[in-house]
Amino acid sequence: MRARLTRRTLFSLVLGLLLLSTAAAMRGCVGPYQHLLSQLQRQAHLTEDTSSLLEPYIHLQGLNTPILRGSCTEHPGAFPSKDALRGLSKRSFLRTVNATLDRVLKGLVALQKQLLEQQDLKELETARQNIQGIRNNIHCMSWLLGGSSETAEPMQTGPGSWLQLTSTLDVFQAKLEGCRFLRGYHRFMGSVGWVFREWGESPSRSRRHSPRRALHKGVHRTRLFRRGKRPVPRGQLPW
Amino acid sequence: MDYFHVNANYIIWKTNHLTVPKEQYTVINRTAASVTFTNLVSPNLQLTCNILTFGQIEQNVYGITVLSGFPPEKPKNLNCIVNEGRKMMCQWDPGRETYLETNFTLKSEWATEKFDDCKTKPDTPNSCLVDYSPVYFVNIEVWVEAENALGNITSDHINFDPIDKVKPNPPRNLSVSNSEELSSILKLSWINPSINSVIRLKYNILYRTKDASTWSQIPPEDTASTRSSFTVQDLKPFTEYVFRVRCMKEDGKGFWSDWSEDASGITYEDRPSKAPSFWYRINPSHSHGYRSVQLIWKTLPPFEANGKILDYEVTLTRWKSYLKNYTVNDTKLTVNLTNDRYTATLTARNIVGKSDASILTIPAYDFQATHPVTDLKAFPKDNMLWVEWTAPSKSVKKYILEWCVLSDKSPCIPDWQQEDGTVHRTYLRGKLMESKCYLITVTPVYTNGPGSPESTKAYLKQAPPSKGPTVRTKKVGKNEAVLEWDQLPVDVQNGFIRNYTIFYRTIIGNETAVNVDSSHTEYTLSSLTSDTLYMVRMTAYTDEGGKDGPEFTFTTPKFAQGEIEAIVVPVCLAFLLTTLLGVLFCFNKRDLIKKHIWPNVPDPSKSHIAQWSPHTPPRHNFNSKDQMYSDGNFTDVSVVEIEANDKKPFPEDLKSLDLFKKEKISTEGHSSGIGGSSCMSSSRPSISSSDENESTQNTSSTVQYSTVVHSGYRHQVPSVQVFSRSESTQPLLDSEERPEDLQLVDNVDSSDGILPRRQYFKQNCNQPETCPDISHFERSKQVSAGNEEDFMRLKQQQISNQNSQSCGSGQMKMFQEVSAADAFGPGTEGQVERFETVGIEAAIDEGMPKSYLPQTVRQGGYMPQ
Repeated sequence: MRARLTRRTLFSLVLGLLLLSTAAAMRGCVGPYQHLLSQLQRQAHLTEDTSSLLEPYIHLQGLNTPILRGSCTEHPGAFPSKDALRGLSKRSFLRTVNATLDRVLKGLVALQKQLLEQQDLKELETARQNIQGIRNNIHCMSWLLGGSSETAEPMQTGPGSWLQLTSTLDVFQAKLEGCRFLRGYHRFMGSVGWVFREWGESPSRSRRHSPRRALHKGVHRTRLFRRGKRPVPRGQLPW
Repeated sequence: MDYFHVNANYIIWKTNHLTVPKEQYTVINRTAASVTFTNLVSPNLQLTCNILTFGQIEQNVYGITVLSGFPPEKPKNLNCIVNEGRKMMCQWDPGRETYLETNFTLKSEWATEKFDDCKTKPDTPNSCLVDYSPVYFVNIEVWVEAENALGNITSDHINFDPIDKVKPNPPRNLSVSNSEELSSILKLSWINPSINSVIRLKYNILYRTKDASTWSQIPPEDTASTRSSFTVQDLKPFTEYVFRVRCMKEDGKGFWSDWSEDASGITYEDRPSKAPSFWYRINPSHSHGYRSVQLIWKTLPPFEANGKILDYEVTLTRWKSYLKNYTVNDTKLTVNLTNDRYTATLTARNIVGKSDASILTIPAYDFQATHPVTDLKAFPKDNMLWVEWTAPSKSVKKYILEWCVLSDKSPCIPDWQQEDGTVHRTYLRGKLMESKCYLITVTPVYTNGPGSPESTKAYLKQAPPSKGPTVRTKKVGKNEAVLEWDQLPVDVQNGFIRNYTIFYRTIIGNETAVNVDSSHTEYTLSSLTSDTLYMVRMTAYTDEGGKDGPEFTFTTPKFAQGEIEAIVVPVCLAFLLTTLLGVLFCFNKRDLIKKHIWPNVPDPSKSHIAQWSPHTPPRHNFNSKDQMYSDGNFTDVSVVEIEANDKKPFPEDLKSLDLFKKEKISTEGHSSGIGGSSCMSSSRPSISSSDENESTQNTSSTVQYSTVVHSGYRHQVPSVQVFSRSESTQPLLDSEERPEDLQLVDNVDSSDGILPRRQYFKQNCNQPETCPDISHFERSKQVSAGNEEDFMRLKQQQISNQNSQSCGSGQMKMFQEVSAADAFGPGTEGQVERFETVGIEAAIDEGMPKSYLPQTVRQGGYMPQ
């Protein structure tokens, strides 16, 4: 009896701490789902525009020629494709986008350090801030959807497809790699935006992944992945 | 405290050297006490702890500085703004003054990230500019924390998407273009701010004509979506418009951008929308059956011209027959017309087309205008000169308003304007000047010609006169003055002269003001002080103030006009009247005056010696009275007594007299001019001398005409020396020339010491007060009235004569007159009067002895024949 009482007390304590930590984590996520979705759509739309980063980069690195522009293509498998993203559940999609953007941030930092250290590309800083903002909204959206954007591993891209600015590359190749990386980034954000727009246009999916109404009404967790379908292993996502 | 042998009860608290009341003390234990302040008046005070030692001496133990204030209030009205391309700035209301150093910190965070705090600067505790660029479409939570020594407090948290707090940059490169197809539209184009790539925008578009001051706005619903151009419709042709644009987030969240720079454009031309104003003037000179008529018209304003007017077309028609067409670039046309009635039409033409025709009827020469407007008024309002009238009963086609500046220096050059027949009030659209008098004429125009004009005067804005009236005196009286002045010329009036004020004062007196109606040009100042200098000046007033004229001085006279005459004339008249009365009196009393002034001197040539002798009765019928006076019958006598002791030499008069004596001696046979002298006679000098001896020696020479010495009868020395004038025309007898005889008498006189040393007789009585005639007369009466005491009386009379020698003349005259009357009987009226007097005297002297007859001449004298 005593042990039973102790277990109940411990459970209550854990639950309380969990709720408090959840409440603390969700501070700032006050917007309704549609508003948050709209923000994500606009952020995606904003970042998919190559003029926000790639074009300034091309002009800054002297890559503004048709041949070089033609060479500035996305590395296959570096970013998840639109179809792959569309095939993900909302929570998986959010985790995938969140994880991808985290790597994009690291890539931008590497780009800044190795190629743009001596030059001022304010669009790079703006892009970095925007990516952080998107991740914040994904975090909130994940919370609204009853999960965490960081609780599941995002899908993995193929080996060698990510930005690798090693010392073995000459400057031109490094610039070109940076250009290809940024192009992939913009394309990826376009795909993300596409998916978010689909979210807004598909009530059924919204209904399926309805946002939690209120924190105090209980956590209604839904499965991110469809039953019987396991997450695609990293690097296995087909392009 | 042990050292001072005191406890906590001896603690005294002071703030800024003032003792805190004991009621605020609390003794904690033997060595400690506390003090409580419920309300501090100063946020900074010095608190000292003191001990009251032996002998009531305060000993300071410790002191601190107490800072007081308030805890911070909760910041309110937190709001943020994101100026496009710049960092976010937040503002709030910090609340009341805390009097303490209070820090405000702006905190912000995402759900996943916290941003650096933004600490306010001391000079701007109510705003803070964050260090990071805002990220759009990500909600951020912002709040303010205020903290000071008394506590801290946090404002309400606000959570917003920075994109909803954006103030976009204004649209740029705004341009305006027109359309040849449509003269009423203009197309605006601009470049949106870069934030347009992130958000959708809505716009405000303002426009106005170039000369207008107020803006019109395009309906907001027409510009509620993102765009970079807009076509504005319903504009006036050939009109320049100015535009400006601003934008904000389409959903209305955030802030309006600033206005773009203004851009202007001109709409395309259209045909003139209105016929020009049309009027005419006829030259006064008229000859050979023709009239010189000047047709005048106004240029159309741009909003009616709708383009550039190329020329005007004028058509003149007499009756209904076509006459002639004129194409004129100017705005006037002078034509010679017959005395008939004409109809003129005018159209204005631009590149697009012609205006409607303006039709004007020029009446025949003998046309009589009628039906004027009534109740014509002109008044300034809103810096414009308005004209108002009542329409005539007849239907009016249009009105012509003409006006010009009234001036004494320049002619009236009229300007004019046209109004529709339905208008009853309008303002003059010319360039009017302030302080100028405008003569405004309104002429109604009917179908058959103009009506009678009506005129009025008005000012756009009045001002005080630029010159004051010059006052002067028209007439100055003793207590009033008539002032006059000229009306101010219209050029200096600067307004309607409402009234004048006359200020006048004396040098020392207070100024007096008198208001005078503006219609007057003279005024009478009354109640003035005579013989006083007055200073007067005059002020003319319009509705806006007055202006002093030059000061004028005048002096009131001492006497009023005619006052001197009123005094002098009566005085003169009175004097004249008095004189006249005196003359009349003298005339009436001329005999009496004559008796006193001009005694009746018998003409020696007509005299005769009565032939009588003591034995022969006189030829004349002398009565007893005459006889009584015979001895005392004195004629005019001059006696000169010369003071014997006077050693001075003879003056010239006496010298001449001496010569006269000698001459007389040499011509003594001719010196018997007895009756030629009179009392006033200048030929009988009265000589006085202080030399008695000389006088004695010259006695004979001082005898006038004749000297009859009454020496008594037959060598008897008369008691009284009697001088008698002979009425005889005969030469003097020898005895008269004997000085020894005379000397005898003189000695007798001079021996009388009672007599004054310097006495002499004069013919005229210069000292009447000492011896009035009446007294002599009375004395004479007394003398003549003696009967038994005649001798004594004569003696007294002699003495009296000597005492009153100055009046001897009168007395002698009296005797002379009596004598003459006795001698000649009744003669003239005066003589009759004298006779009466003498008669009275004779009655009084009735008992006198008759021995005193004219025969009583002195020894040696001749006897009357």
